[in-house]
Parts: sequence; C-alpha cells; structure tokens
Amino acid sequence: MITKQLVDQIEGEASIYFDIKDEMVDFATISFPHFRGMESILKGKNALDALVITPRVCGICGHAHLMASVRAIENAYKNAGHKINLNQKIESIREFTLLMEMVQNHLKWIYLTIIPELQKLHPTDRNSKPLKGAFGASLAAKAIATFAGQWPHSSYMIPGGITCDPTNIDVLKAQSYLDELISFFEKESLGISIDDFLAFESCKDFEKMNSDISYLESELIKNDMTHKGHSYDRFIVLGEHSFTKVSKLNQTKAMGADVKYVSESEAYSPNEKTYAINALYKNNFYEAGPLSRCMALSMPIVKNMHRRYKDSAYSRVMARVFELAYLLKKSQSLLKKIDISQSSFVSPENIKNITAEGVGVVEAPRGPLIHKIRINEGIIQEYKIITPTQFNIGSSTQSNPTPAQKAMSGVSIQNALFIFRTFDVCSVCTTH
Amino acid sequence: MNNQVDISFDKLYNEFENRIKSLEKLPALKENTSAEKMLIEKGFSRRDFMKWAGAITAMLALPSNFTPLMADAIKVVDRLPIIWLHMAECTGCSEALLRSAHPTIDSLIFDYISLEYHETLMAAAGWQAEENIEHAMHKYKGQYILMVEGGIPTANNGSFLTIGGHAKKGLDIAKEASENAAAIFAIGTCSAFGGVQAAIPNPTGAVALSEVTHKTVINVPGCPPSEKNIVGTLMYYLLYGSLPALDAYNRPKWAYRLRIHDLCERRGHFDAGEFVENFGDEGAKDGYCLYKVGCKGPYTFNNCSKNKFNEDTSWPVQAGFGCIGCSEPNFWDTMGTVNEPLKDKLYNTTFSGLGADATADKVGLGLLVATGVGLAAHATLSAIKPPKE
Repeated sequence: MITKQLVDQIEGEASIYFDIKDEMVDFATISFPHFRGMESILKGKNALDALVITPRVCGICGHAHLMASVRAIENAYKNAGHKINLNQKIESIREFTLLMEMVQNHLKWIYLTIIPELQKLHPTDRNSKPLKGAFGASLAAKAIATFAGQWPHSSYMIPGGITCDPTNIDVLKAQSYLDELISFFEKESLGISIDDFLAFESCKDFEKMNSDISYLESELIKNDMTHKGHSYDRFIVLGEHSFTKVSKLNQTKAMGADVKYVSESEAYSPNEKTYAINALYKNNFYEAGPLSRCMALSMPIVKNMHRRYKDSAYSRVMARVFELAYLLKKSQSLLKKIDISQSSFVSPENIKNITAEGVGVVEAPRGPLIHKIRINEGIIQEYKIITPTQFNIGSSTQSNPTPAQKAMSGVSIQNALFIFRTFDVCSVCTTH
Repeated sequence: MNNQVDISFDKLYNEFENRIKSLEKLPALKENTSAEKMLIEKGFSRRDFMKWAGAITAMLALPSNFTPLMADAIKVVDRLPIIWLHMAECTGCSEALLRSAHPTIDSLIFDYISLEYHETLMAAAGWQAEENIEHAMHKYKGQYILMVEGGIPTANNGSFLTIGGHAKKGLDIAKEASENAAAIFAIGTCSAFGGVQAAIPNPTGAVALSEVTHKTVINVPGCPPSEKNIVGTLMYYLLYGSLPALDAYNRPKWAYRLRIHDLCERRGHFDAGEFVENFGDEGAKDGYCLYKVGCKGPYTFNNCSKNKFNEDTSWPVQAGFGCIGCSEPNFWDTMGTVNEPLKDKLYNTTFSGLGADATADKVGLGLLVATGVGLAAHATLSAIKPPKE
C-alpha cells in the first residue's frame, strides 16, 4: 500500500510516497514538486551576474552558492591562462563567512527541526526552545554581515577577492559576535565548554553532561536511532577548505576524490512529478554533509560513534552537533589569521576577455555544492548547479536507492520521517 | 480665517485610539494569552518593548508621543489573522525575518499572529498545516491579511509549483487566498514583481501576485526586504485601518519614497566626484562612491541606506558592493550587468523612450533621467566611464 506524506519546514516542501509492508517502510520515493529554472536564467548573462543570481537559489545557504560561483569563475580564469592568486586575508574572510553560514544552519536545524521532531516521536515535558536556535543563528548572521553587508543573499565575494576592506574595528566586531555566540552555545546548548566537548573520545562522555545536547543524545538513544537510519556507509567530501579534507570513504577507509567523477541521473518518482535529479560519485550513491566531513577528518568522537553505531541516524545527528562546535573554534582561528594590511582584491583580467570553462566546488552546510560555468567572452553560455541534497536525497529505484531512501527502509513511517530530516533536507536547492 | 495646518497630530491620535478600541472588541486569535504576555514569556522586558514601539513609530514618521499608542496597538495585533503563503522562492524572506536580527519582537509578533507563517515554530506540519490554511481561509473570510512570499509560476497552467497533500497549484491557491483577503501584501521582490525566476527567459512563466488577482496588492519588495519594512507595513495597516500611500509600483511611500542614493553613507564622495574605479583600489579602501563599479543606488527606491540589515550591522554598500537595485521591477534584466554602471546602457534597455518629465510616482525608474541631470550638475558625468574600456 502506498501512503503519501507531506514534508514541510524544509525550505520548501517535499512529498514522500511510502510503500508499506507489515507496517514497516519497504520502499519510499520522494518528489520535489516545484521548479524555477535558475540555470537557464543564468544563460546569456554576464558571468559576474552569477554572483548575485546564484545566491538566490537558496535562502539558507546562499553564501555557499556565492562562493561556488566565485570559485567557478576563478577556475575559468585559471583555465584561460589567467590564474588568480588569493592572499590569506581573502581566503580567511571568505572561509569565515562561509563557516558562519554553516553555523547558523546547524543551530537552526538542531533547535527548530531535530529536537521538535524527536519530541513528536517521543513526547516529553521539556520545552524544545526553538528561539535558542534563532538567537544563535542571528549572531552568526551578524558576523557574516560585518564583512558581507547582509545575510541572507550577500554578494561581497568577487573573482579576485572581496569587496570589503575591513578595519580592525570590523574584525573586532566579528570577533565579539563570535565570542558571544560561543558563550551562548556553551551555556545554553552544551552546558560545558567547547574545548571539553571537542575533547570527547567516547559516546560515554555524554553522561557527564546535562544540557540540551545531552538531552538530544539520550532521546536519540531512547528512540533507538542508534540502530536505525543506516545508509551505504559511504561518504563524500569534495570542497577544498581548511576545515575538512577532500575524500571519499568506504566505511573508514579514506581515499582521494575528484569532482570530475560526479554524474547525474534522472529521479524515479512514479507517483508525482519531481524536478529533482540524483547526483552520484563514480556511479554510486554517497552520503554527503557533516557526518562525511567529520569522518574525513577522523574526528575521534565521531569515529567512536561510527564504530559503535555506523552511519545511523544517531551518528548523522551527533556528527552535526560536533561539527558545529568544531566550526565555531575554527572560525575563531580564521579571524585571528586576518592581516588587515593585506589587499582585499587582486585585480584580474577583464571578464570580457575570458573564454573558458570553470568548476567551483564548496562544502555547503549539507555537503558538496558544485557550480560549472562555460564562458564565452565574459558571457555565460552554460551554467550547471549540483547541490548536496541531490547526493543525499534525490529519488531512485528500489534496486538502487539513494542514501535517504535506503536510510528510510525497514522502519515505521514516523521513524522514516524523522530519519528523512536527519539529512537536513533543503527542497529549494534540490530543484533550483 | 484660520487655515493653519493641524500640526499637533491630535486628530490622527484620536483616530488611532478609536481604531485600537474597535479592534479590541474583536475576538483574539488565541485565548488566555496576549502578544504582550508572549513577549514577556520570551524574555523581552517592558523596556525592550517600548524601545521597539518607539522605533516603529519613528519609522512610520509619527511623532514620538505616539509611542505608547504603538505599544497599545501591539496588544490588539492578534485581532488580525495573517495567512502567509510560500510560492516560487528561496525562503530568503522568511530567513531574513526569522533571524536577521535577534528573534526580534518583529519576528515574534509575526509568529504569534500568523496562521501559516514560520511553520518552523508551529506545531503543525504536513497535512495539518494544509488543513490549517484551508480552515483559516474559511473561518476568517474577508478579514485576514494575506502575505505572499515568492513569484507565481503560470507556465504549463502553473504546474511548476504544487503545494500540499492535494498537490494544488500555487497559482490557484494564490488566487483563492487573494479573493477573500482584507488586505494583501506581497513580501519580497518575487511576489511583488516576479523576482529572479521571472528573469529572461522566465522558464516557469513566473509573475507578480498582482498579476493573478484583481485586488490591490501592496508590494514590499527587496531581495530580501528589510524586516522593518515588513512589520512597518503591518503596523500601518493596523493603526490606520487603510492602505498606506503608494507609489507607481504599489510600494508604501513611507518606506520606498527615497532612493538608496539619497541617504547613502557614500553620497558625500559622489558629490565630490570621488569614485571607486576598480574593486580593491585606493578609493575602495577609502570608502568612495561605488557608482562606477555598478551601484544602482541612484535608480533604486528603498530605505536600506537608513535601515541596514541584520539589526543595523551593515548593508551591501557598506561592504563595498554596490546596490543591485533589488527592489525595482525586473531589475535582473534591466539593471544588469551588476558590476557596470547603468548610464551607458540606458537606451539599450527597457528604459528607452521614457520622457524626461517622468516622475518617481509615475515610474520609479524615471528618476534615472533626473539622476543624469544631477550627475551633469556635479560635472562628473563626463568623467564616468565603465572601468577598463
């Protein structure tokens, strides 16, 4: 029997069609019933216009789109024989704002999605306090705005650098937003210091805590999420950054990876039209996102979780919490690296003289975001966007399910809906 | 004969008082609680609240003695049910409202009075949310305020956007919801003017909300719009009980009366003929005017230069990236290329044929011509050439 479930609160909405056998999900297909056609809108426009158009693909990870566009254009410059060398200041500020976007996303997801959804599975008296997530996220957004002018939809990165020229006061301002955010997270979410939290080596260490995060952890265990939501146990990280490592992993075995092996396949959604397309690596489905990035880094606590519970819903959720803590620390060190005397911009060749192709890859909150551009004398001939949710969710056949489809099989509908959200679904990105 | 203008605002004050009293008599959306109580529960002090009321009062250009009245108005805000629809969009407008600032009083008030908005904070999800909206449309027929985020795809009979468990077309929902609304606000450039998805070649046939309904739509454009403009539009309606004065594009004049350029922090440099010629040059370091690197501030009507974003943290021009004109209709097609000044392209764009006497009220972008004159007056026009040409 096929049962339809509507999933919203995911930056747009999706429908899941569950095929139920013996009260458990035997197979599920997913549809994303909306489309905007961003790629065809980019065609024929000046390449630099991509910098303001692609962030509008998504209201929550627009900054990642901006950086992917900048990287794609800079890569085209390189392929045209005009390599752009960025200095440390440019790299640090770009990376800092990207991380802050991830931080706001993860915080929001914990407080506005995962904890409330867990409470639907297993109601408790505890107030889910969604505003905590909104408060923390607003501090992160202010830290971004300090350099980028506004969030969402910032447009301060351009090929060759950034448009802002921060003073010491600006850097201090960003520092103070970040410090406030860190102490908020320590006090309100963790109950212990970030350093102590990141020093965890075993899941048993959670027993030391009594806070929102230990509540989340224990509820995941109570709902048996340690034994549900398993996917392929294959992970992919493709964006080059200081905070992770490009790799593909089969279980814990890490190898190098290259974006050239990414391909796409039509989605299988027999019950409703979907505009999503699946993304594969070497023709296989891989899971993308925080769990993959933490595995690529061999983060001790995440490896411990993985040893115990593999790529369960538990590991997927808790890896994101650890990534959040890790990124907050990383952001601090990035700010310290900013030398304001360095230049903000390295003037590149005029875009009108560029005829080339370029690929830009970044790690967005949910995983690798890939932009491909083909430019002829500065004008976009073709633009292609592949988003992380296409890797994780898509929709495929029963014999070759996507990571999310695989993770949802063999559990009840209620559990499957929760597991679906552990991937942090972004619907508007998926179809763009 | 005494034909002195009443500058005491007494009459308006009385009108507002009466309006609030009449709203008070209407049933509240939620029993046993009030907006004020909710705010206190969320940790806002009376002082925060009064500060907020003062800020909104100032924004709507009312005298400061209206502040207590504004605070009273909030107590009856839950007499206005709001239905918030998501159409073809990126959810950036909601994101902006939800956390571009502290969970502000603005965003909380929306959450409190809205029936559909911020599902994230609502208990209902999925089927239940859909039932809520149908129920609300029926129960509050003719009374609710409709706020729509996102453009309306019309190509292939609207099949590029279906919503809800019954896969209804976005187009049909928007039409139906507009029909029975007391007031309609299009939030963000997508619902006000079609937005990014309506840019050439507009693959999904996306149009503005105003094109699918015969009723008056108040446009609150911006990509994203400032939360102050969103909440200000609501408070205006609450206090006056009528629609605000609108410009040619149905934007409230109190927010969209001036150009970005008029109050720009870099305006002094424009007047002095000091321009950033290239990103990263000495002028950029000194905060010179961004016109030559593509700023569309002189052609864009909005109050960003005053309001800024993310709780007054910054705005694009402060970060050295010119205004892209995001609150103007079709700016994606008519104001490109982003990093080039507009002036050389005037007669190749849809602006051609505009009479020099076009005013902001007739056509917002008509002011372009006036700007050209302004530039000439500053003797800078001849100096302005797109960089590297």
